[in-house]
Amino acid sequence: MMVPVRCFTCGNVVAEHWEEFDERANEGDEDPEKVLDELGVDRYCCRRMLVSHKDLVDVVSPYQ
Amino acid sequence: MELRVTESTENELSIEIAGEDHTFMNVLKGALLEHDDVSAATYDVNPEQSGGQTEPILTIKTEDDADPLECLEDGAVTVREKANSFKNAFEAAA
Amino acid sequence: MSAEYDVEFVEREDREARFLVRGVTPGFANGIRRAMVADVPTMAIDTVRFVENSSVMFDEQLALRLGLVPLTTPPVGEFGEDETVTLSIDVEGPATAYSGDLVSSDDLVEPADENVPIIELKDGQRLEAEADAVIDRGKDHAKHQGGVAVGYRHLQRVEVEGDLPEFEDEESRIIRGVIEDDGELVSTSEFDHDLSNRYPGKEVRIEDVPNAFVFHVETDGSFPIEELVTRAADTIAERATELEDAVQL
Repeated sequence: MMVPVRCFTCGNVVAEHWEEFDERANEGDEDPEKVLDELGVDRYCCRRMLVSHKDLVDVVSPYQ
Repeated sequence: MELRVTESTENELSIEIAGEDHTFMNVLKGALLEHDDVSAATYDVNPEQSGGQTEPILTIKTEDDADPLECLEDGAVTVREKANSFKNAFEAAA
Repeated sequence: MSAEYDVEFVEREDREARFLVRGVTPGFANGIRRAMVADVPTMAIDTVRFVENSSVMFDEQLALRLGLVPLTTPPVGEFGEDETVTLSIDVEGPATAYSGDLVSSDDLVEPADENVPIIELKDGQRLEAEADAVIDRGKDHAKHQGGVAVGYRHLQRVEVEGDLPEFEDEESRIIRGVIEDDGELVSTSEFDHDLSNRYPGKEVRIEDVPNAFVFHVETDGSFPIEELVTRAADTIAERATELEDAVQL
């Protein structure tokens, strides 16, 4: 639904980078690899948190 | 930290150290093995889910007439000194 | 017996550092590492009272998210184990509630990151809640873990043994961590973790330097690196003192 606050594996806080990542790599056409590098999300455990995430608030909210 | 002696002879001591885990026990065991009068030191911990004895039990064997309890005290002092000198070395570099 | 340690920083930033410790036994290095992960207390939200939550997520889901937000941890001795700090949040949609919207009752305990999205609120939705933060250890809940991905590797010494045979193909030799080359510390990232980049055409031998460990330490923002390491050493010293006293009785 919302992006996980921390990486499941190592506990690093990843949520603070989500909005920029989403804007640049998902909405925009930048290379996700480069965006993650620039954001300082180095480990692959943290990278998969952002790469594989999908916001679902918009999908769920009509059924409130 | 609660201590409970489970076995005690002249040269051997088994003692339960409640509330500790590998973090402290392994360092303590390492310090005891550096002690001149200690011939053997080990500890055993069972997983939390196993039921029964889950607190670590430390066993010390000493040489000659050394008192295992005194060796344990020396070991604790060594650990404290190690931790403090590590802290000082780190602060000196920081 | 008092051990002589020698510490040297290789890389250093606010929340991430790499440092070399010499003269440390593997057991003690691991004790320090474990203490950094599980035994250094940090503040985190533990109880949340919801006044209004009309968002798309349940109360307990939001409580978990709030708990995971790192909070700055006050200096040692400022807070007892059962003292709490109250933080409040009040956001009305359409807007996103961020960790930065948390208002703390104490200047010493603030969200360490301001941009963590808590919940996206649509038109007419509202989140109003009061949260109590407590101090606890990583052993009890991962949200109290101050150290993130703390680890260590042996320092590796690289020696050039001679030239490669003339017609042999160069093979890449990947190592990670920090190498020692003539007393100089070099992070392997400087040559893309490949020794054949640094010593082209040479035959090299790698060996672990005994009792020299390179720690890699990261924090979640609760406190700076220095604080984490010294507090970890303190928790071990504290327990040793406690054992000393218990034995004397």
